[in-house]
Amino acid sequence: MGGLQKKKYERGSATNYITRNRARKKLMLSLPDFRRLCILKGIYPHEPKHKKKVNKGSTAPRTFYLLKDIRFLLHEPIVSKFREYKIFVRKLRRAYGKTEWSAVERLKENKPAYKLDHIVKERYPTFIDALRDIDDALCMGFLFSTFARTGKCHVQTIQLCRRLTVEWMNYVIASRALRKVFLSIKGIYYQAEVMGQLITWLVPYQFSHDHPTDVDYRVMATFTELYTTLLGFVNFRLYQSLNLVYPPKLDSKAESELKEDDEEDYAMNSESYTEKLSALSSSLARVVSSVEEEDAKLDEFPDEGEDMEKMEAREKEQKQLETQKKIFEGLKFFINREVPRESLAFVIRCFGGQVSWDKSVCIGSTYDVTDETITHQIVDRPNVDKQYMNRYYIQPQWVYDCVNAKIRLPVEDYFLGVNLPPHLSPFVEEKEGDYVPPEKLKIMALQRGEKLAQQDEEEEEEEEEEEDENEEEEDDEEEAEEKNLKKMEEQRSQGKSLQVKVTPGKVKVENPARLEQEEKAEEKRLAIMMMKKKEKYLYDKIMFGKKRKVREVNKLAAKRKAHDDAEKAKKKKARK
Amino acid sequence: MAARRRLKRVAASQSGFLSFKSPSDPTSSVGSRRKRVNKNKKKNWNKYSDVNDVDEFLEDVRHQERTTGGLLSEKADDSLFFLDLGQPEKPQPLAETPQADEGRKRKGKASRPLRIDLILKPDSLVPPPKDILAYQQPNAKKLRRIAEKAERLAAKGVVPRKQKRLLNRRPIDRTVKKAVAEANNNPDRDYYDIWGQEPKVSADPWYLQQTGKKLVKRPEKLNEKPSVLPAVEVIAPGGSYNPDFFSHQALLQEAHQVEVQKKKQEDKLERQLAINKEDKATEETNLREQVEGLVEEENDDEELAPSKEDDEAALAAIAVTQKKSEKQIKKEKAEKLKEQQRLTSRRQTERQQQLFQLRSIKASIRQQEEKTKSKQMQRRIKQEAQKAQPRRLGKLKFQAPDLDVQLSDELAGSLRQLKPEGSILKDRFKSFQKRNLIEPRERAKFKRKLKVKYVEKRAFREIT
Repeated sequence: MGGLQKKKYERGSATNYITRNRARKKLMLSLPDFRRLCILKGIYPHEPKHKKKVNKGSTAPRTFYLLKDIRFLLHEPIVSKFREYKIFVRKLRRAYGKTEWSAVERLKENKPAYKLDHIVKERYPTFIDALRDIDDALCMGFLFSTFARTGKCHVQTIQLCRRLTVEWMNYVIASRALRKVFLSIKGIYYQAEVMGQLITWLVPYQFSHDHPTDVDYRVMATFTELYTTLLGFVNFRLYQSLNLVYPPKLDSKAESELKEDDEEDYAMNSESYTEKLSALSSSLARVVSSVEEEDAKLDEFPDEGEDMEKMEAREKEQKQLETQKKIFEGLKFFINREVPRESLAFVIRCFGGQVSWDKSVCIGSTYDVTDETITHQIVDRPNVDKQYMNRYYIQPQWVYDCVNAKIRLPVEDYFLGVNLPPHLSPFVEEKEGDYVPPEKLKIMALQRGEKLAQQDEEEEEEEEEEEDENEEEEDDEEEAEEKNLKKMEEQRSQGKSLQVKVTPGKVKVENPARLEQEEKAEEKRLAIMMMKKKEKYLYDKIMFGKKRKVREVNKLAAKRKAHDDAEKAKKKKARK
Repeated sequence: MAARRRLKRVAASQSGFLSFKSPSDPTSSVGSRRKRVNKNKKKNWNKYSDVNDVDEFLEDVRHQERTTGGLLSEKADDSLFFLDLGQPEKPQPLAETPQADEGRKRKGKASRPLRIDLILKPDSLVPPPKDILAYQQPNAKKLRRIAEKAERLAAKGVVPRKQKRLLNRRPIDRTVKKAVAEANNNPDRDYYDIWGQEPKVSADPWYLQQTGKKLVKRPEKLNEKPSVLPAVEVIAPGGSYNPDFFSHQALLQEAHQVEVQKKKQEDKLERQLAINKEDKATEETNLREQVEGLVEEENDDEELAPSKEDDEAALAAIAVTQKKSEKQIKKEKAEKLKEQQRLTSRRQTERQQQLFQLRSIKASIRQQEEKTKSKQMQRRIKQEAQKAQPRRLGKLKFQAPDLDVQLSDELAGSLRQLKPEGSILKDRFKSFQKRNLIEPRERAKFKRKLKVKYVEKRAFREIT
């Protein structure tokens, strides 16, 4: 009998956690410094499973960290830098108080500073790790670069953010990596594909800042501090991968073109180069001046285990991507002054278009309004005084919609003063049987290469729309009567492209296909008959869900039609 | 010293100078009786010797020196007297002076001393004493000797040690400054290929580890993200600047739901905090409260009576427990034993019967297992869902930000007229909180250390 009495809270989860205050004391740091250290090192608070055990019987809400994490922090060299900085501030304050200006000078000269390079290396052991986490860095970079330099954060930080984001945009342009753009009420969402990683970021509209008071700027600045370091290294690597010079240099040809007499009007001499870079209007210099895009084809390994179908699908995708990358190639844009210049220049250049703007808007314009070779002028006002015959006057949404649709959309819907079609989100991916807005259906039809008769008259178009809708309805009816299993089979075999109409050209091939289909359907019916009770139950459930979805879709479509009709009636009335 | 010596000499040469001892003053000897004082004390000498005449004499000498620059008696006759030749001819010097004056005025009005300077100028003719120390060099002799020695050595070609040391010192390269630590947010900082090559470690790993120069390896577990949510959550399609009608409606619906939920919560709280009508004071209850204890109640006696009965019953119970006969005890024991036997036999039969219930037992076990499995499944699903949820990391719970929505009439027709909604900074901040990267916090409130004391000013008080 006997032995030592076990004390409470000396083993188990109570010893695995540490409260924030104790951790802070253990590291001998002030709370802001501790917070900064945790953010930089990527150590986050942890919610224990059994709070009462960890909190020694108390249920008061507290912030806990894992003890091992804090022990890991003890080895960080930056901790000593933080302490040094604290002493530095104290000395500086004293010197100021005593008005010892020479001491102030001396102290400021020896201000302790630290680098985060080793932390970046430690947190992101490989380049791909860093790329996966670059979303946040980009968001913060773009956000901070739009801040006014009024002392909410260091001016230097803003400048650094601006530099890095410009570098990033230049890289995306050079690699033509942009995939999607979405103009939302918050800001502009971009998505790019870099080295196989999908990277999304959010850019605020210009001059849209009010500074919210419930945001901890110190925390945000700390995040930015880490992310600028990360973004810089990632940029370097990306530039290297494209054989571009880092830090970016303008192409020698472009540089000579951009040379102007009145550069001082835009910026100081020291800044004019970076300003030119940020104008995004010219290409960058390469390490080895390569001969225009060597066509590197994917090596084909036909005898591998993969199916030919998959291979073909991939090839098709590749082809589509290639065409998407070149949708603006050969076009010459001119951006009017009322349009967001940077975003449009970025997007247009990403897809191979040439772009320019008025000289008074920004540095780096390459041609004038009067240039006869301009094909598109982007205008966002009701009318333009002097119009040129040989160019389209379009609204900015056309550019973004083209990018999202991956084809050059007809310009008629986007002419000056025309009521724009809705700007759909490219980030929504409709699943089978979901409701698809008719505008998207139209775009999908265009993507497949079906030509809609392009006539200038609006009514024609309306009719077309109606046609579209009719087809859609037909589809719906078909789906509604799909109690027979054949339909299901079709769905499975054809995959996504169900909702869209079947082209009349296929009728000839139908007979053998139909036979095959029937055979398959028969097989399926038999399979269903052979199902166990349990499986059958599950199957029925799935089918029921699908039908319900179809019903909902039908309802939405009907609603939409009613809405459209009402709109049309209104329009007609207005016309009368 | 010199001055005193001169004074002595002067005094000796003066005929009027009287020695100390001589009873010179007839007035003092006549006027009062001489007081006898011991002259062997310095104090008495100081006190009782009359020095007026000496003082007078010295004062006179000083006066002479001041005014004439020496003693009159020593001056040559030429300097004291002059030959009176009568009135000089006035016009001639007058005629001369205006010209000269004019010329002087022209040339150097500035050179003429100011009157104030003249006033302040010392009028004594005694030259100021020389400061001898100013011309003296301390340790002159020693220094001279050292210099001589150095000269001698230099002639021999021997370099002194100090100079030799200076010559031998390694020249400091002033151009190479100590590497100034560059700030992290320097906009012109340079980057390099951090993932390219591993830096070579030349030193002994043991040494590095012991001296704390080696970086500790980061645990793998720290690279896991605390939440599965993506960094950038794209706004719903209804948040487009020019949205599709239905998706916009859907977004509005969602925002509406959130608001309704909030309202519900508020209403619930209000309901719970509302006053119960029965608890309100009425006239009747007030009266009853005031009268309580004053009006005698009559059922006091009745209450007392039954309490007596209770006591009796309790006593009886105690008596009964004491009165248990041996027979009774035996009987109880036997009954207990019997009961136990009955139970054991029953258990035995039951167990035997279970042999035939094997199927149903198996079924029940299977059922139980299934139940646990489904529970496990549900728990796992719940855990997965939890991963996307913000955790409770501090005092405050995560508050989801308001949905950014523009009403149908707020929607802009074109990109130019678009009015951005919400703040991206806040959106990012909330995203960090939602992904459990930072704990939700409230802004620290300003705390006043000392209490503010309000005093009504007199002027103000007079008015009110």
